[in-house]
Amino acid sequence: MIIAEDVAILPEGIAWGLLIAFSILWVFLGWFLGRKNKTAEDHMLAGRNVGLALATATAMATWVTANTTMTAPQLALQLGVWGMFGYSLGALGLILFAPMARRIRELMPHGFTSGDFIRLRFGKFTWRVFLVVSLIYAFGWLVSLAMAGGVLINALAGIDYRVGMTIILAVCVLYTLLGGLRAVIGTDFVQTIIIILGVAFIAWLTIDKVGFEAIHFNLMEERPELLNLLFPAAIMFLFNNLLFGVGEIFHSNVWWSRAFAFGRSVGFRAYLLAGLLWLPIPIVAGFVALATPALGINVPVADMVGPLVAAEVLGLTGAIVVFIVVFAALASSLDSLLAATSDLVTRDIYRGHIRKNASEHEQFRATKVMVVLLGLLTWAAASYRGELPIIGSLAAVLYFTGAFVASAIWPVVAGLYWRRANPTGAALSMIAGTTLGLVSYFVIGFYVAALVGAAVSLAVLVLFTWIAPRDFDWRTLAEAEPRGTAGASGGLR
Amino acid sequence: MTISVGALGTIVVIATSIATLAPILLITLFILDWKRGRLW
Repeated sequence: MIIAEDVAILPEGIAWGLLIAFSILWVFLGWFLGRKNKTAEDHMLAGRNVGLALATATAMATWVTANTTMTAPQLALQLGVWGMFGYSLGALGLILFAPMARRIRELMPHGFTSGDFIRLRFGKFTWRVFLVVSLIYAFGWLVSLAMAGGVLINALAGIDYRVGMTIILAVCVLYTLLGGLRAVIGTDFVQTIIIILGVAFIAWLTIDKVGFEAIHFNLMEERPELLNLLFPAAIMFLFNNLLFGVGEIFHSNVWWSRAFAFGRSVGFRAYLLAGLLWLPIPIVAGFVALATPALGINVPVADMVGPLVAAEVLGLTGAIVVFIVVFAALASSLDSLLAATSDLVTRDIYRGHIRKNASEHEQFRATKVMVVLLGLLTWAAASYRGELPIIGSLAAVLYFTGAFVASAIWPVVAGLYWRRANPTGAALSMIAGTTLGLVSYFVIGFYVAALVGAAVSLAVLVLFTWIAPRDFDWRTLAEAEPRGTAGASGGLR
Repeated sequence: MTISVGALGTIVVIATSIATLAPILLITLFILDWKRGRLW
């Protein structure tokens, strides 16, 4: 599948050199940081005492994905200024999760996964519904990230989509396998610095070389709707994206595993600071796409617009910077997702459903096997980009999962703060929210799936709790098994 | 209603400035945590 052979601006030799150099760096760091991991808890939660600097950076890096650096420009090109502003509202997910992270750490000092919480809080039926929702989302995100890797390498260097995608995925699988969450967090710090500096560098040079006057004038001539503050689809997208981001963070084990891993007083400050620092990044990354008319760039595929503009403005340097930034952004999110999803599958599927008496050593080994299996599954799905009905552009894949994640917002929030929330209502709210969210995705558009999913989910949960409120003892959550008792206690309750 | 050049420019410049300062803040926090032995 060759998308951009005719517009490739990075010589293939340089691209291969960068790929090899950064692959070696990430794998070395992964091995170095994870070499002292001895237990499943070390591997999954990095010792549960991560400090503020690393905690903030890993939250930022994970949320700055290739979807931010590539989809933000794509959305700016399609939805205009509201596209990039709407994407930046994703920061609210991090900011709102800050108090939740503190509460999660207080309520579940021995917790491992978001699945642990749902199981203890709402029981097995809701837990299983939640696992379906969470795993579909995780897989959708993994596939969209792998696709972004292939698109980037193809767009910049003309290297075959499947070859590039395979290399990036393999590197992330390898260093996550070697170092677990400690490797993920350590590499995230380096990757965050690279990503932000690179994105800011490209934006400053675009401002300097093209200028706001030229950008605005050409947009008014060719695409005036992109500057329209009352662009209806874009405003719907703004609210949809807000709910999508909140849903992603509130339910996903990527963020819960960090809440468990950060030091006791760190979670709140780290998530708050990460949100505030993340807020401007989609604007910075998305803005460059608005320069397309001024630069006279022909964009053959919308999700290539970011790299194409950078290369047009900065030439070879721009291509190299974009290549490094997106590789770092991809790796920082892929590794987090691989680690957190393998933890969820190991803890909640393998130990929760298949081998309830699994020892700590067996869990440790299972986590690693899951990383490899997830990598292989992601590779298989991403290999068929554009050949399946729902596997289309990056945004399409990402927002397909919107109905799933938004329907999980209220069950999670109610589970943490509403003592009388009804467990059956929590399960049905996810089922109804997801179903109607998906219907709206196909009938109306990608920009309303999360909106509908969240609204329906809220209505169902409130209705059930109003009709049949259930009491809950918060101390039950502290019963998630502490280190060393896995297997000995007869498995999960 | 169309966004003006000035408003667009102001928003983008503020956002880019924050993004430029963020790495400096993160590195400062890293050094502080490291000196206090609180990295991990």
